[in-house]
Amino acid sequence: MKKSSEKWRTCLNKESVAGVVFTLPFILGFLLFMLVPMGISLYYSFCDYNILSPPVFTGLKNYTNMFHDETFFKAIGVTFYYALVSVPLRLIFALMVAMILLKTTKASGFYRAAYYLPSIIGGSVAVSILWKRMFAIDGVINKLLSVFGLEEGISWLGNTKTAIWTLIILAVWQFGSSMLVFLSSLKQIPATLYEAARVDGASSVTQFFKVTLPLLTPTIFFNLVMQMINGFLAFTQCYIITQGKPMNSTLFYTVYMYQQSFEYYNTGYGAALAWVMLAIVGLITLFLFATKRFWVYEGGV
Amino acid sequence: MKRKLAMLMTGLLTISMLSGCGNSANTETDTGSAANTGTTTDTAASTEQSDTSTQTAGSGSAALTIAWWGNQTRNERTQQVLDLYSSANEGITFDGQFAEWADYWTKLATASAGHTLPDIVQMDYSYLEQYVSNGLLVDLTPYIENGTIDVSNISDNALDPGRVGDGLYAINAGVNVPTVVYNKTLLDENGITIKDNMNLEEFYAVCREIYEKTGYKTDVFYGNGADYLGYVMRGEGTHLYSEDGKLLATEEELKKFFDIYETGMTEGWMCDPSIYAERTIGTPEQMPLVYGSSPATMSWCSFTWSNSLASLRNAAPEGVELAITTWPSADPVASDYLKPSMFFCITTDSANPDASAAFINYWTNDIEANKILLGERGIPISSEVADGISELMDANQQDAANFINDVVTPNSSTIDAPMPEGAAEVTQMVNQLVEKVCYGELTAADAANQLYTQGSAALEK
Repeated sequence: MKKSSEKWRTCLNKESVAGVVFTLPFILGFLLFMLVPMGISLYYSFCDYNILSPPVFTGLKNYTNMFHDETFFKAIGVTFYYALVSVPLRLIFALMVAMILLKTTKASGFYRAAYYLPSIIGGSVAVSILWKRMFAIDGVINKLLSVFGLEEGISWLGNTKTAIWTLIILAVWQFGSSMLVFLSSLKQIPATLYEAARVDGASSVTQFFKVTLPLLTPTIFFNLVMQMINGFLAFTQCYIITQGKPMNSTLFYTVYMYQQSFEYYNTGYGAALAWVMLAIVGLITLFLFATKRFWVYEGGV
Repeated sequence: MKRKLAMLMTGLLTISMLSGCGNSANTETDTGSAANTGTTTDTAASTEQSDTSTQTAGSGSAALTIAWWGNQTRNERTQQVLDLYSSANEGITFDGQFAEWADYWTKLATASAGHTLPDIVQMDYSYLEQYVSNGLLVDLTPYIENGTIDVSNISDNALDPGRVGDGLYAINAGVNVPTVVYNKTLLDENGITIKDNMNLEEFYAVCREIYEKTGYKTDVFYGNGADYLGYVMRGEGTHLYSEDGKLLATEEELKKFFDIYETGMTEGWMCDPSIYAERTIGTPEQMPLVYGSSPATMSWCSFTWSNSLASLRNAAPEGVELAITTWPSADPVASDYLKPSMFFCITTDSANPDASAAFINYWTNDIEANKILLGERGIPISSEVADGISELMDANQQDAANFINDVVTPNSSTIDAPMPEGAAEVTQMVNQLVEKVCYGELTAADAANQLYTQGSAALEK
């Protein structure tokens, strides 16, 4: 009896046991809420499943059906357009604001917080609804424009050309997290480099392109990868503001996936769509990593 | 070192985000059902109970969950009836859950996957067959046989739409008819009168005249027009679906439906499709009839059902009087029908089917309860209740009842059979094609052609 309790104690005192115990919450969470649902979703993607009745195995049918699905290609197109336009714009904007906020004054702490605010509330339903009202025919944007003589209200959300831009602008507005990352790495650039550049007679524009930008490339790369993934997986904005309307011109891939799964009850097909998205995002990330050696500066300062 | 660490972090975050993408479909399901657990308990026992007939219906304690879709008026009145029933029946408590139409069906589907469906659900004609064939609803016949649900004052015509196969799975919550609600004040001011049973040519003439005189446009079903398609097909002397679940209407006949939108858009009197991008389609409060900033974004009429008259009138601006007429088609008398507006069903997930059945009986036959509801879901099916509340009904319900009894009933025929399997996809197609016609991307003929070929293919599956 005594022996076994002693054994138990030595066992608990082992370093590896402590490690396992402390990581258990994550491991359990990962297994239960990530791996298991992913496994189930993979299985559903090979099934004809409509939620109401049990899944029936159909092999690759869901995947081959995508080739005949016009809306699938439309959604892919829209999502690529959104991600490829909004992410670079957001990064440029974030870098610009970061450069402005770099100068430390008494108020800079306040401004940093203020500019970060949209990103905190950015993905929320409330902002999406606000956005929808702002761009409505009788919304704030049109009221502002009418001051400048544009009396006829423009239907921003109802026009196939402008609707996607309301979403892109919302994405650009949420530049805060990229801005903070830029800000911290801007601060790490040694002042001596700028001094040397000044001595050599470099203008501030030259300084930016020859000193700042090259040293920022690892940060830009990090931001690009993260935001690209975020961009491809955007859901809330589209689901609340446009629902893909008009004419599917704003139909994000994730929203299409949701519609198939829970509105048309083609849940098996929805799961297949999810796995295709996984592959697409994986490939894009791989592609970005492959281009890394051509433009990312990894040498020391 | 630092940079290497950053790269590692990037990689790790990438992986975790990617996996977040992959399983999102499933987490939806999980959260959906998780939200519902606790509202219903002991699902395993319920299926056995549901088949046995009951002795002590209505007594004992139970926490019942009841779900419906609807509008502000309906939510308030339903909640009042639930409160009244709880206070009269010791031990019965309710958890009333409501949602808008589209969200409601999503919610119900996810709940069914987790076997956590509410005890009592509001059901629509178009979904009934699907839910019954998947074994999600309880056959109510035993409850009628043992008297828990009293149908002595209900005609067979009113009960029959709730039958699927040999069982009665749903109790009609009220009678509904296709209705155009229009702005009578606006029309009176401009000396325009509307007659019932307009055909399409007469309807076009009215739309043009109103547009020329007032600038108000016309709002015909947009994004939810499948019922109207069926109605127009009946006017052409055919049906949208055949009895064996195929498309019965020909391409030529289908074109007649898209012609309405093409004509409206080319002549300019139809609401611009862009106005719908900002609204929740099908919500009375946001219909162009009652909501909009200028005549160009508003409509003189709204295509809907007779039971939404009350909420439309509630939502109408002060001083605007709304009146009702029939949907137009080539032959409205051939088109028109009475429809069960919605049903109440007991699900097989219910732990308290007996108490649920007792409540459905109360809902259907109790005059006091219906004095609160006042036919908001449609005219009550029990003749005694209908008589009992007729004096109390306000102008809205009186008008709707008179419209149903005097205008539609004498000029109507039996409703089409419930939609066949695969019809949901056709419905979706109709909405998208209407959108394309309104945005000028397709002609009516092209739209009809696509609906015919792709719709037939969808129904083959």
